[in-house]
Amino acid sequence: MDIIIQSLAAVYNPMTLLLVSIGVLFGMVCGALPGLSTSMAIILLLPFTYSMDPVMAIVLMVSCYVGGSSGGSISSILLKTPGTPEAVATTFDGYPMAQKGKAGEALGLAVTSSSFGTIFSAIVMLVASPMLAQAALSFQSAEYFGLGLIGLSCITSIGAKNQVKAVVSVMIGLMVGTIGIDSINGVERFAFEQPSLLNGINYISVMIGAFAVAEVYKNIEEYRHVDTSLRTEQKVKIKLLKFSEMAKMWSSFIRGSVIGTIIGIIPAAGGSIASLIAYGSEAQDENANPKFGEGNPRGIIAPECSHNAAVGGSMVPTLTLGIPGSPVAAVIMAAFLIIGITPGPMLLREQPIMLNAIFLALITAALLLFVGGRFVTSQFGHILKLPYPLLGSLIVTLGVVGAYSLKNSFYDVLIMFTFGLVGYFFDKFKYSNAAVILGLILGEIIENSLRKQIIIGDGSGMGFFTRPVSVLVLTVAALTFLWPMMSKKLKKGKA
Amino acid sequence: MAIEIAFNILIGLGVLFYLAQAIQLPATDNPADVLGAGGFPIVIGIIALIGLAMITIHTIKEKRKVDIPMLNLRSIDGRMVFINVLVLAAYVGLLDVVGFVLATFAYLVAAPLSMGYRKPVVLAVFSSITTAVMTVVFGIVFYVPLPRGVEFFRDLSYLIY
Repeated sequence: MDIIIQSLAAVYNPMTLLLVSIGVLFGMVCGALPGLSTSMAIILLLPFTYSMDPVMAIVLMVSCYVGGSSGGSISSILLKTPGTPEAVATTFDGYPMAQKGKAGEALGLAVTSSSFGTIFSAIVMLVASPMLAQAALSFQSAEYFGLGLIGLSCITSIGAKNQVKAVVSVMIGLMVGTIGIDSINGVERFAFEQPSLLNGINYISVMIGAFAVAEVYKNIEEYRHVDTSLRTEQKVKIKLLKFSEMAKMWSSFIRGSVIGTIIGIIPAAGGSIASLIAYGSEAQDENANPKFGEGNPRGIIAPECSHNAAVGGSMVPTLTLGIPGSPVAAVIMAAFLIIGITPGPMLLREQPIMLNAIFLALITAALLLFVGGRFVTSQFGHILKLPYPLLGSLIVTLGVVGAYSLKNSFYDVLIMFTFGLVGYFFDKFKYSNAAVILGLILGEIIENSLRKQIIIGDGSGMGFFTRPVSVLVLTVAALTFLWPMMSKKLKKGKA
Repeated sequence: MAIEIAFNILIGLGVLFYLAQAIQLPATDNPADVLGAGGFPIVIGIIALIGLAMITIHTIKEKRKVDIPMLNLRSIDGRMVFINVLVLAAYVGLLDVVGFVLATFAYLVAAPLSMGYRKPVVLAVFSSITTAVMTVVFGIVFYVPLPRGVEFFRDLSYLIY
């Protein structure tokens, strides 16, 4: 009881609440701007935390993590330019909703879902941290391979119009993902002795090109023939969900949050994979109206719940085992070490207030997302009022900064430019840009896990079928791939 | 239809080149690494080729006409997109030569003009403010090392960010 009171006092005081607000707002702004990542936002905050009380410092960074994870969806929905990698899946239905004049509704869905996912994972984190962290350790190469395949199952839904083109698109994404040094045996692959290609092609620049730049080209062709008066007259204002509306879609909220929490807990998996898997699981419903990819609200809820649930999830192995659950959690873990706290099993015993404070900060930050969301969205809303020639040029410029700032490399801008053209033609010929990104994101985890497991099995792949968790994950992967075909056959049978 | 077939052939050639490179990748020293560095690329390359063949056969059967304005320079829309691609290419090329501020300002003036925007005062204000805000936000507030250009432009950039 004493610990709970101390934890409440540590978080619910004016100074800490101010820090939570700053963290959320700063995170949201950085998340919404392509070119500034959540990790970067936390790194920028780091110098200010040196002289702070450790609880305050961690609370500030965790709040920034929550804000950043949610902020990426703002530019995803309004500009089709994901501000963060986690927000890729939100683009699939968020942008079509915005195009239909429902930007406020889409943003409201995103903020509500992010908030729900964060609170869900915070509760799970508090209740079952040590147990879940141990369970996450049972995830090895075979299970990671299965996880990658579940992520790929998204193509059955995002490429619904032409499955073969979606498969070819995902293969092209996987191929692009193999460029660079092979991480298993160090062989240089498809880099043609270009130093910039040795580290591979970053999917953020591909994403900005194929999504944002290609969309600008498409809109240049169309804007003179489309009545944009409706869009320019309306003020973009977040429309928050009512409880009754949330209740109608409760399964999407829960499914997304559970997937996000579980994947967040698995070391190094992270929110971007979580949101893709959540989207894939949600989009299995072929009878959805509107269809997924055409502005279905559940296509926003699932990924948003999922990647923000991954925030709390990723803190579980970080705090209890000292193993970061995501790249951003790795930055927070470094911050822990800088301020003199060593994350690991002893943290729970020695610093119980810290764990409770993080839990409370996550919940408070989740609630503050509504305030931050309103502010950041209203600022972004002004941008949408620009005539398209100015808006399109601004989107491209933001994309250039986003691509360049990844590695301060000119090559990333060239990649963005190239994939802008590729994305334009893919769109025209009904190939799937989203599937290319999916393949690019998941390629590394799929290939490396497959080969590592075969190496562990001394050249045999039996390990995939002898490990119970692996069998379970692979079965889920197979079912998610086959479900669209199975459901069609079942319907025909019933008819 | 012909454009789509040509596009598929272009991708197919790219995949074939990829496969040819994958086959040449050196074998691994580890006998347990059955797939090696080239195994996975070969598998995905073959799946892509099979898929492309299926798509091309379907395209021939379907005879669907696809409108690609960028390739039709007789249309105003096509010209606008094409010129905009060139303007973006010039922007990308100029970034490392004249630096972020000048290249961005030039792009923000040229791109809307290439899209048919004809309000010079608004355009001048928009380009100046946007360039200034982006330079301050990214280059000064968030320490993003924006491109500086070469020689004189590089020295000039140090006065700003």
